[in-house]
Amino acid sequence: MEPHEFKLTEEGIRAVLPPLEAEIMEYMWKVRTATAGEVYEKLKDKHPDMRRSTVSILMNRLCERGLLERRVEKGRGGMRYVYNITTTREEFEQKVVESILDALMNNFKEATFAYLSKIKK
Amino acid sequence: MLGLIILLQMLLAVLYFGKIGAITVGVSMTILAFMYVWVSRHSLKDKYIELTRNEIPWLYDSIVKMANKAGIRIPHVYILDDYIPNAYSFGSSIVLSVGLFEVLDREEILGVAAHELGHIKNKDTLFFPMVVYGRYLMILLAVMIILFSHNLFLKVLSIAFYILYEMERIEFFKDREFKADETAVRLLDRPLSLKDALEELKYYEDLRTHVKDSALPGIEPSIERKPKKSFMDTHPTYDERILRIILESEGINIRNILK
Repeated sequence: MEPHEFKLTEEGIRAVLPPLEAEIMEYMWKVRTATAGEVYEKLKDKHPDMRRSTVSILMNRLCERGLLERRVEKGRGGMRYVYNITTTREEFEQKVVESILDALMNNFKEATFAYLSKIKK
Repeated sequence: MLGLIILLQMLLAVLYFGKIGAITVGVSMTILAFMYVWVSRHSLKDKYIELTRNEIPWLYDSIVKMANKAGIRIPHVYILDDYIPNAYSFGSSIVLSVGLFEVLDREEILGVAAHELGHIKNKDTLFFPMVVYGRYLMILLAVMIILFSHNLFLKVLSIAFYILYEMERIEFFKDREFKADETAVRLLDRPLSLKDALEELKYYEDLRTHVKDSALPGIEPSIERKPKKSFMDTHPTYDERILRIILESEGINIRNILK
């Protein structure tokens, strides 16, 4: 996933992901594999108004962003999608830093060098 | 009524163009008939998984029960690998997307399945493609008359027939959706489960299509619910369907009490 936006006022992965998607990813990085139903059960205590549809839409958006992948699983209870993480949190954070630094180096090379040298000292 | 309009349009073409008109009508109808057969035989793609009883017994058994109640053959049930909740029917088959299982509970899924059984019971799976192919024929004949006829009255009449067909087609589809809902309400053990399903699907659609990207995480407050109603819509709105389902369901309750 290539982040296209970085919100300076947000903390952690919320700087590059909308808040609920960030919450889902925080949980997914812990469990690695889950269904939308399991994520819904986890989040509904904190967000009592949340519905299954919201979680489903957001998890599929995370698939489109390349952070999750889904596969169909058959069970006696019904068909369902099982979602897996495609990248670890560390890999994701590294990608974010690389993307931002690449963008800074492309647009403000000297100032970026100067600042990196300053903080290195 | 739709058949009558097509007949009138064909009559215009045959009367004005004579033998060429008759040949055009005949060839067009043959091609469309072949298309109808080909499409109905090739409508299943790799993404469909045929459901067997062992896989989801509660769903399979309930569909069998409802099909028996409706007096129709037990349909083939296919599961479509698509995360968007969706359902439709063709021939004597119904298709449910995996997305339905993600956002609806069991009763609600049965509500959706009952609606599709309603379409099969009411023979919509036979009529709908005919109406669609009839539309192609109407367009073809109208274009032929507009381009090759030198009679202004005939051109106007042909366009009028086409517009009439479109209006009738829209009304026909809407009416059949309501009828499928009515049938579903009678087939379901819990008639309001279809209403619940439609409410959830409406919520899903609103959230997915009318939400500003940046506003999505806020869920409710930032949802833009623009009225989407268009005169060309062939489906009634969720609200119209929900209201009718409630009324139909109440009617059944009253009839049961009076028995």
